[in-house]
Amino acid sequence: MEERRGALRRGLAALALAAPLASACACDLAGARRLDGSAVSLAYRTIPAPIPLGEHFALEIAVCPRGAAAAPAAPRADAWMPEHRHGMNYRPDMRELDRGRYRSDGWLFHMPGRWEFVFEAAGERLTDRVDVE
Amino acid sequence: MRRWLAAVCAAAAAASAGAQVLDFTADERRALLRHGPWPPPWRADPTNRVSGNPDAIALGERLFFDPRLSAGGVFCASCHVPHRAWQDGRQRARGLVEVERNTPSLLNVRYQRWFGWDGAGDSLWAQSIRPILDSREMGGGAARAAALVRGDPDYRCRWQRAFGAPPPLQDEAVLAGIGKALAAFQETLVAGRAPFDDFRDALAAGDREAAARYPLAAQRGARIFVGRGRCHVCHSGPLFTNGEFHDIGVPFFNPDRSVDPGRHGGIRRLAANRFNLLGPYNDDAGGRSALKTRHVTLEHRNFGEFKVPSLRNAALTAPYMHNGSLATLADVVRHYSELPLERLHSDGEAILRPLGLSPREASDLVAFLESLTERGAAPPRPALPPCLDFPDRVGVDKR
Repeated sequence: MEERRGALRRGLAALALAAPLASACACDLAGARRLDGSAVSLAYRTIPAPIPLGEHFALEIAVCPRGAAAAPAAPRADAWMPEHRHGMNYRPDMRELDRGRYRSDGWLFHMPGRWEFVFEAAGERLTDRVDVE
Repeated sequence: MRRWLAAVCAAAAAASAGAQVLDFTADERRALLRHGPWPPPWRADPTNRVSGNPDAIALGERLFFDPRLSAGGVFCASCHVPHRAWQDGRQRARGLVEVERNTPSLLNVRYQRWFGWDGAGDSLWAQSIRPILDSREMGGGAARAAALVRGDPDYRCRWQRAFGAPPPLQDEAVLAGIGKALAAFQETLVAGRAPFDDFRDALAAGDREAAARYPLAAQRGARIFVGRGRCHVCHSGPLFTNGEFHDIGVPFFNPDRSVDPGRHGGIRRLAANRFNLLGPYNDDAGGRSALKTRHVTLEHRNFGEFKVPSLRNAALTAPYMHNGSLATLADVVRHYSELPLERLHSDGEAILRPLGLSPREASDLVAFLESLTERGAAPPRPALPPCLDFPDRVGVDKR
């Protein structure tokens, strides 16, 4: 009996160790760009890729905690053109596909040039710049 | 002999000077190539089930020229005049009364994302309904429009052929169908190729001889357009517009001193419009066509923003700006050269700055804009033959 309890304890401990690893693996989206904060990692890819100028596109996003951090809530995402000091004329939505995986629709970059994605996850601000032609 | 040789050499030098291609940088070439090819491929409008349907086009053409849609004998072509590049040449449009805005050309209208200077329409068919209902433009109404289609045998016949059923019983549904037929007709109004298109294609093909036929002044203007002027940031793509809205410092006070809210009012009207793409008449209800309507945002900065017009056929569509306040292309270039920064939103975009063009540079930019205009006029449209099919089957769909 004691031996079975020990096996159960060892199994639960292994599961507890595996959970963060599994979350970290959820950030491995094929063809995604990865952004690392102190407590959270975020990977995103655009659909389609590359981003078409003047046409709607979507984002697929994966968010996962780093180390022992708690699983983050749904991220927020937006974009702007720093050089022009304006954002998009559209507000994208965010819906969860699976644990830690999200899809965001309603994106449209209406000007060529450098755009900056701004993500907020687990209280952190992660940014990434892309050139759109 | 020496004089003859000198004359031959001078002629050869002049010919070579007249057949020159500027040494465009790789960035300039890439930017210029993005303005083509022209025309873009045909794509039916998924929100309009009769888009591209020849019978709907014929029905829409007849409606376009029919004053009975209006309470005062005005029709679509009163403002969108075929021989004036489908606009009217007036500073401000005049329907039953004069309104505040300039009549935009309908050429290439099918390629737009938003319709009207404020983008209150999210489809060509919804936009086509708006002036019928506006008491200052055509002053018609759903009941009048529906009665016209149901009561005229030729219209009933054409409706049956286009939609595969008689006009529906609900006036509003008939009005939606009228908008879709009008849109199907307007989708056929596409500008022909302009000198710039031949130049652009020659650049793409590396054909210097063909590219050299494009005037040097227009080439210099093209260089300003995609270079120092950064005009292509908003006037992008084959249509020379990004299809969105900007404040460029044109006053938004109307003649009666009221304020034209521009895009801000347009988004509010869009949301309130029963014929928008989120409503019951979108034929692509489950598709992606309504994404723009679902996700567009209303911001304070939208006050005083107006749609970036296409520059194709610009030489034929004077006067310019949402209020028709600039009479010539030279005036438009002067506006950007001497841009009144104090008229722009202080919290707005940091895109525009006065270009400070020299007289020659301004003239070159005008030459480039003129080169975006198609050669020659479209041939006159033949009269529609009467619709004589289905004489016994036409009626009113009571479903």
